[in-house]
Amino acid sequence: METIANDFTINIATANGTGSQSANLILLQSLFEMGVPVSGKNMFPSNISGLPTWYIVRLSDHGYQAPGNRTHIQVLVNPATWHEDLESLEPGSVVIWNENAKMEMTRDDVISYPVPMSALARKINPKIAKLVTNIIYVGVLAELLGIDQDELEAAVAKQFKGKTTAIELNITALGLGRDYFKENLSKSDPYVVEKRVIEKPQFFIDGNEAAALGCIYGGVQLLAWYPITPSSSLAEGIINYIPQLRTDDDGKANCAVIQAEDELAAAGMVLGAGWAGGRGMTATSGPGISLMQEFIGLGYFAEIPSVFWDVVRVGPSTGLPTRTQQSDITMLYEGSHGDTQHIVLIPGTVEECFEYGWRAFDYAERFQTPIFVLSDLDLGMNRWACDGFEYPDQDMDRGKVVRERDVFEAFEEFGRYLDVDGDGIPYRTLPGSGMDPILYRGTGHNTKGVYSEKPHDYYELMQRLKRKIDGARDELPAPILREEEECEVGIIYLGSMENTIQEIDDMLEKTGLKVSQCRVRALPMHSEVENFIRRHEVTIVLEINRDGQLYGILRKELPNDLITKVRSVAYSDGIPPRAQIYADRILETLKEAEK
Amino acid sequence: MSERPKRAARPVKLNVLNEPKDSYTGGKSSLCPGCGHDQISNVIISAAWENGIEPHRVAKMSGIGCSSKTPAYYLGQSHGFNTVHGRMPSVTTGAYAINKDLLYIGVSGDGDSASIGIGQLIHAIRRNMDMVYIVENNGVYGLTKGQYSATADIGSKKKKGAPNKTQPIDLCALAINLGCTFVARSFSGSKKQLGALLKAAMSHKGFALIDVISPCVTFNNNDESMRSYGYVKENEMTLHMADYIPHFNPVEEIEVPDGHFRDITLHDGSVIRLETISAEHDPSNAVAALTALHEAESSQKHVTGLLYFDSSKPSLAEDLGLVDSALLDVPNDVLRPSRESLDKINAALHS
Repeated sequence: METIANDFTINIATANGTGSQSANLILLQSLFEMGVPVSGKNMFPSNISGLPTWYIVRLSDHGYQAPGNRTHIQVLVNPATWHEDLESLEPGSVVIWNENAKMEMTRDDVISYPVPMSALARKINPKIAKLVTNIIYVGVLAELLGIDQDELEAAVAKQFKGKTTAIELNITALGLGRDYFKENLSKSDPYVVEKRVIEKPQFFIDGNEAAALGCIYGGVQLLAWYPITPSSSLAEGIINYIPQLRTDDDGKANCAVIQAEDELAAAGMVLGAGWAGGRGMTATSGPGISLMQEFIGLGYFAEIPSVFWDVVRVGPSTGLPTRTQQSDITMLYEGSHGDTQHIVLIPGTVEECFEYGWRAFDYAERFQTPIFVLSDLDLGMNRWACDGFEYPDQDMDRGKVVRERDVFEAFEEFGRYLDVDGDGIPYRTLPGSGMDPILYRGTGHNTKGVYSEKPHDYYELMQRLKRKIDGARDELPAPILREEEECEVGIIYLGSMENTIQEIDDMLEKTGLKVSQCRVRALPMHSEVENFIRRHEVTIVLEINRDGQLYGILRKELPNDLITKVRSVAYSDGIPPRAQIYADRILETLKEAEK
Repeated sequence: MSERPKRAARPVKLNVLNEPKDSYTGGKSSLCPGCGHDQISNVIISAAWENGIEPHRVAKMSGIGCSSKTPAYYLGQSHGFNTVHGRMPSVTTGAYAINKDLLYIGVSGDGDSASIGIGQLIHAIRRNMDMVYIVENNGVYGLTKGQYSATADIGSKKKKGAPNKTQPIDLCALAINLGCTFVARSFSGSKKQLGALLKAAMSHKGFALIDVISPCVTFNNNDESMRSYGYVKENEMTLHMADYIPHFNPVEEIEVPDGHFRDITLHDGSVIRLETISAEHDPSNAVAALTALHEAESSQKHVTGLLYFDSSKPSLAEDLGLVDSALLDVPNDVLRPSRESLDKINAALHS
């Protein structure tokens, strides 16, 4: 039989709260250390214990990181989803199943490996058999696929940092799984793992931790937050790094953390921090942003530096709180009532999560406005390969703050909202300075910050704000372009779609299409995006939502002659984007475009 | 033309900072003439001046409503933030985290504090943030023209519509139950008492709540329970004109000796009974304070004075575990960890 090396997907069906996450991460880490390009996706429920959870491990020498289009190896531990999981398999798939789960193998067209996982686990320690069951299947997989014992043991050591008992227990369990397979089963499937040369050393990290580190290096001074999946680990990441990175020898920190009573209060605290001259931020998800809308408008109108991370989950309402989507684009870009427009940074890699972590504060203080960073559950909570983080390449930009009396006196005329330089960005003084003391307000105001309902004052203020934010386009991160000379089809996409785009591109190229890519990294969109559309015969805007939100923004902002060149492909079912679904829809849309 | 002889200038009084009181004043009030809120503004000006607070080291915070407009009318050398309805506590908390060295004076109303923002008030109290929190309490939504607020007495009656049937919230009782470290009640016309309470609150390390009864001259036309209806009856014609705001003089200054009460007749002819808590009251005794509040309520009085005080609790600044200087003053190169520290993190992640 011909072997299939490093090009298959493993789906592990367990229940949450049973310790399967540690076992799955050990599997992922050991493959990673063998140099196998691999990705792991955790499909977890909104629940603490007992509900179905799936972990999808994809090995791909092409470097494809999306969940594949099908499962090749199914691990069945959870009776609750047993039949559903079995039925969805293609004939010839491999099934490793727990013989002690009191469930039947109902398929005769699959390669079946029954393993008495619970019985083996009980041998080690009956009290924690449920926990050990998970590591047993990792041992079985290791033997079946040929995963190095050394790498497995290293991964166990990494997972249980220094906890000797846990390390020993897990290594014993791995051995039991391995031995059971060796002694009782024989391999009759084609799947194997092959070592690969590691060209550049990488590590695994999730986007939320990368972002947390970035914020720490951005000099965050106040984190005000309210727990919400999938953003909590971002806030907790900051909290975890403060003792190491932001605390002096006396144990005193230079970053405050306040767990707020709700997202409204978190937003208020962030604005208060910005008003006082500090770097304040919050991390939340869509429902939190919904609650923050009033303050977002105040931040825009009163021009208060502030940073909001939105790690998007599936909406509307409570939606699918543990699934991923790119559905807050419009809400962030046009947040709050009245005419508004906000700067949105859109990382697509963990390296960018780190980079925008610090940059967001610079933009906030430079433009004196709320800055949003749009991540999502897939990028934020799943682990991604990372080359390492680069130290900020520029000093902190604290913006146009007048701190010295003589500088202040040198102004011919000073007004908090007076556009001195013609860039729409006025100068500000800080509370406590005694210079230009004004009462900041969310009501209409003139260039001095004094209450005004005069038509001229309001009109000019709104025009300046437009100039300020809209004018930021080309100062924000430029799109990443990967262009074909032919300029046939262009694809505009954003954020975590980065992990699926190459697979989509390859699928399209197989049909003879030459596809260029343009990854948007900020709103308002860089002028290069418009140029990209102009250069291409037809451009698809690809996004993980129902309505094509980025497409909507483009249609509103593009010149009329370009609008007809742009088509939308938007799809979302909560699962990280699978390439085939999007490739098929792109082909359909292109066919329609030809008509 | 002959010049009038110049009158000899009166010497201007200065405070300990050699500042005249003018350094603490603000813009012209746009509230209804005679509004008790303006009296409170004047007391704030006097208290800050008398306490010798550097005028630019105050941060004036407010939410939305009649009361929340007043920061424009006092301490013109201080920065301020007129935020959103009911959310002044959170904005103040954020500002305080960055610059704990300012004196935060928050002004709020009963709509702000007892309804839309009651959650934020409660949590600011829980955190024991250093701030003076003044509620200018009139039992009514003034800017939206006279709806009941959550502090309106049962039986209060609007110009139009049914009397209020809903139980009022006593913010002082609420604050005491939450462990607020400084709880006082006063009256907008009690300049001396309010001034003394404000000066004490400004010096307090922790959250100081002062609930100031400040009757609305325009919309509080109650005649039920403890209030008479005389004025309204005499002026029936004018009161039916919705856009006519009668001009009043501020309520007379009123001081009630400790342990005594006095009836105060308000603009609308209604009467409120103010009792100053007795000198024997022990403000460290929360149960005694709550008892005084309940007894006053059952005998239809408002008990005023310092009801509860606790200086033993750490304030939010202490709880945050921060460096000694205000975070605002921490230099950029300290806020951003070194290049070497990131190298170490990268190395640890690679290992």
